[in-house]
Amino acid sequence: MPRYVVERSFPCGLRVPVDAEGARQCLGVVERNADEGVTWLSSYVSKDKRKTFCVYDAPTPEAVRTTAARNALPVDRITQVSVLDPYFYA
Amino acid sequence: MDDEHLKALTDTPAVGSAELFERAEQLGTLDESLAAVKRTARGRVLLVNGEAGIGKTSLLQKFCGESGPRVRILWGACDPLFTPRPLGPLLDVGRQTGGELDERVERGDKPHDVANALLRELEAPSPTVLVLEDLHWADEATLDVTRLVARRIAESPALFVASYRDEELSPTHPLRVILGELPPGESVDRLELAGLSPEAVATLAAAKGVDSEELYYRTSGNPFFVTEALAAETEQVPRTVRDAVLARASRLSPAARALLDATAAVPERAELWLLEALVGGTVGDIGECLSSGMLTAEGDRIGFRHELARLAIEESLAPDRTLDLHRRALRALSEQDDRAPDLARLAHHAEGAGDARAVLRLAPAAAEHAASVGARREALHQYERALRFGQALPPSGRADLLERFADEAYVIDMREEAVDALDEALEIRRATGDKIRQGEILIRKARTVACMEHRGDERALTDEAVKVLEGCPSSGALARAYGLEAANGLVQDRMDEAIEFGRRAIAVAEEVGDAQALAYSLNTVGCAEIVLGLPSGVAALERSIELAREADLPVEVGRGYLNLIATLGEGRREWKLAEPYFEPGIHYCRERGLEAWLECLISARAESALHGGNWDTAADAAMSLVEGRPSTVMGPRFGGLIVLARVRARRGDPEVWPLLDDAQERGGATIELQFRGALAVARTETAWLEGRREAAVQESELAFDLALERGEPYYLGELATWRRRAGVEEEIDLEVAAPFAAELAGEHEQAAELWTELGAPYEAALALSGADSEELLRRSLDALQDLGAAAAATIVARRLRERGAKGLPRGPRQTTKENPAGLTAREVEVLGLVAEGLRNADIAERLFLSQKTVGHHVSSILRKLDVNGRGEAVAAVRRLEASPGAASRSEL
Repeated sequence: MPRYVVERSFPCGLRVPVDAEGARQCLGVVERNADEGVTWLSSYVSKDKRKTFCVYDAPTPEAVRTTAARNALPVDRITQVSVLDPYFYA
Repeated sequence: MDDEHLKALTDTPAVGSAELFERAEQLGTLDESLAAVKRTARGRVLLVNGEAGIGKTSLLQKFCGESGPRVRILWGACDPLFTPRPLGPLLDVGRQTGGELDERVERGDKPHDVANALLRELEAPSPTVLVLEDLHWADEATLDVTRLVARRIAESPALFVASYRDEELSPTHPLRVILGELPPGESVDRLELAGLSPEAVATLAAAKGVDSEELYYRTSGNPFFVTEALAAETEQVPRTVRDAVLARASRLSPAARALLDATAAVPERAELWLLEALVGGTVGDIGECLSSGMLTAEGDRIGFRHELARLAIEESLAPDRTLDLHRRALRALSEQDDRAPDLARLAHHAEGAGDARAVLRLAPAAAEHAASVGARREALHQYERALRFGQALPPSGRADLLERFADEAYVIDMREEAVDALDEALEIRRATGDKIRQGEILIRKARTVACMEHRGDERALTDEAVKVLEGCPSSGALARAYGLEAANGLVQDRMDEAIEFGRRAIAVAEEVGDAQALAYSLNTVGCAEIVLGLPSGVAALERSIELAREADLPVEVGRGYLNLIATLGEGRREWKLAEPYFEPGIHYCRERGLEAWLECLISARAESALHGGNWDTAADAAMSLVEGRPSTVMGPRFGGLIVLARVRARRGDPEVWPLLDDAQERGGATIELQFRGALAVARTETAWLEGRREAAVQESELAFDLALERGEPYYLGELATWRRRAGVEEEIDLEVAAPFAAELAGEHEQAAELWTELGAPYEAALALSGADSEELLRRSLDALQDLGAAAAATIVARRLRERGAKGLPRGPRQTTKENPAGLTAREVEVLGLVAEGLRNADIAERLFLSQKTVGHHVSSILRKLDVNGRGEAVAAVRRLEASPGAASRSEL
């Protein structure tokens, strides 16, 4: 399955509480993604929490957009990526 | 022998049957599927696949036998006839259900009608297990029904079990295509049967004192072979299945052996009265055959326990014996007159008996019947059979068969064979001086050689047909010949010619009362008139559709809808005017099983949505055409690739070029502007959006010359406009369509207005993107951001920045915040349909989504609105609409 980095902007900052509520929110997203065969692997969040870089496995870019809409998440850009391992050559 | 006596005999257990060893797991899968049907009241398909002799039938019989009294079983099997009976297994099923299904199958109705009747039958009583066995032998009509029923099985509380041998399916076997098209996952289960393990074979071998390693080595654990090898009771394990079967048969008494031989001459199960006729006496020895386990009884019919055994015995018969058995079978079957004669069966025995007169009488009749129920391949085989015996025919009779053969060959795309047959027929008709028939053959040949230049020139053949036929009294053939001339004119953008010949065709068709030719030519004239911008065109096409509906000419109806939509939409970018025809057209084609037309309409639908800025809809429809269809006509898949690529390119999403390259491989070499033009435009736009202007110009070359040559104002205008946007300064002498002409003349605002009238927001925004004024550029940027057109928005934003514009929004806008409660555009669309009271299934059909996807949308809507049911959702959204400032919920 192709892998994508999805860039998102949150003008008011992203807040995910580090408690049961935050866990519930994240799991909700994971569950809804599963409907379209989309897997959220991890995200990198900028210091000011206004920008995220999220790594996904998904069948198509459309599936990424569909789940984003279902989760009410913005999408700036979707880039297909592959892994480059710097220590592979060592 | 009465049924009860027979039943008593068949209750005798078969000798050493191995078929049900190690099948507990598979029975479990079957039970689970049936349980799922009972639990959800939604139907499922279960595919059972395995080599000959692996025990598919035994497994399914056991499953059905143990499924309990409240489950209804419907069972139909395909016969190993060289040319199978059309709808054969459904005749069996019809006999079990009676009623509408039985009537329709008996009458030989079209597959979609039979499928609809079968689906209605499956609604109650609940649940039903429908078994269709050995589908690798099925005729085309049965396969059509299978496809339609499998696709809609979820609507009925039934388990549809289909068994087949994978090894018998060539890569192009129609069943393979059907299997490939089944929706993955959701309601389809698969069961592959493997041979017995060495341990199981050892257990069976030990009971008979046979060398178990040898037995496993010879049989590879194939249960049928194991059973036969054990039953053969020979000193050594037989080397082949055939040896095993013959060894076992050799232990029967002479009378029982004669009966066994007779049964082998009948490929399907044989009636008792037929067997009596074959052996010329009573069949008292049937008991011996049944208790030996070689034959089994089912109702009042007797057959081999397995087709492999029948083949072994049949091949061992002396030729004169075979001939005699076929003669007797033919006579006995011909004398039966209680039910409609089974023509395919009669023709089979007529050929086996070497009876030329009978073949020539029966095979064409069987062919006609087969063709009338849509079993075209079987019809072709019956004509082939007749032609093999056709030496004695008068010339006109042979020409007749050749023409009919060519018709069937054309339909199933065996064009070379069709042209050969037509050439031979034409020679005969020339010798007999039959002009009208000559004209008809020329028309058929013209149609057949399209896209195969090495076999003849379509136009020259059409001209010749017209010349031959104009010398005769008016005929349907002349109307069709004019109709072809008109269609040629249309395809080659010579509209005056299309209208001129089309009108002649209409006049002749009306004079001789040929509804098909009339509908066809009205269609062509209508298209030509729409292309020329004449309002009478839509009316002509509407009349064509109406006429075709009245005369029940489904293909003409499908063509009518598609041409009306495509000519308005693709031809003149009038997708808004085309909109009302999508729903009735798609509904009709779906109902009538016109798959190719349906796909073309869905492709047009995708394009229409792209044009209207509804990119989710466009991508969904396009994806349905691109995904999982191994063999289909070029058009729809090509269209799907292009629409999906354009949606991705416009959003700035990845994986665009692989789609465009795939499309280029499929359609880049065609001479038709509709393919080359669409491809060139998509590739040019994509390169431009990536900021590669030179590449954009280069991609436009793919069709620019062709468009110039044709002078077709839309593709020419679109390509010229893209070239201008990419920086080419050139003058086009030819007329181009109004919105393009405006942009080329520097009238950006006017071009945008024209696009807005045509319902094309993206095109309107792009027209503004080349303007000089900051105000127009800002309007362009706003519109592009609303559409989620990230790629073009970036370009326009850069232009604005270069002019020193301040306060530009950074990054794309969140479209979701536009809607109350954070619903997406798609969810708002679904909610609208929910409010109309539509069920998920109806919404799915309307929006070209799977029911599952609609389900997800609905639950997402309920969640975002924080309500519990559809009614509450509708009420909530009415409240929100009343207070537009309502805040949106945002999670995470």
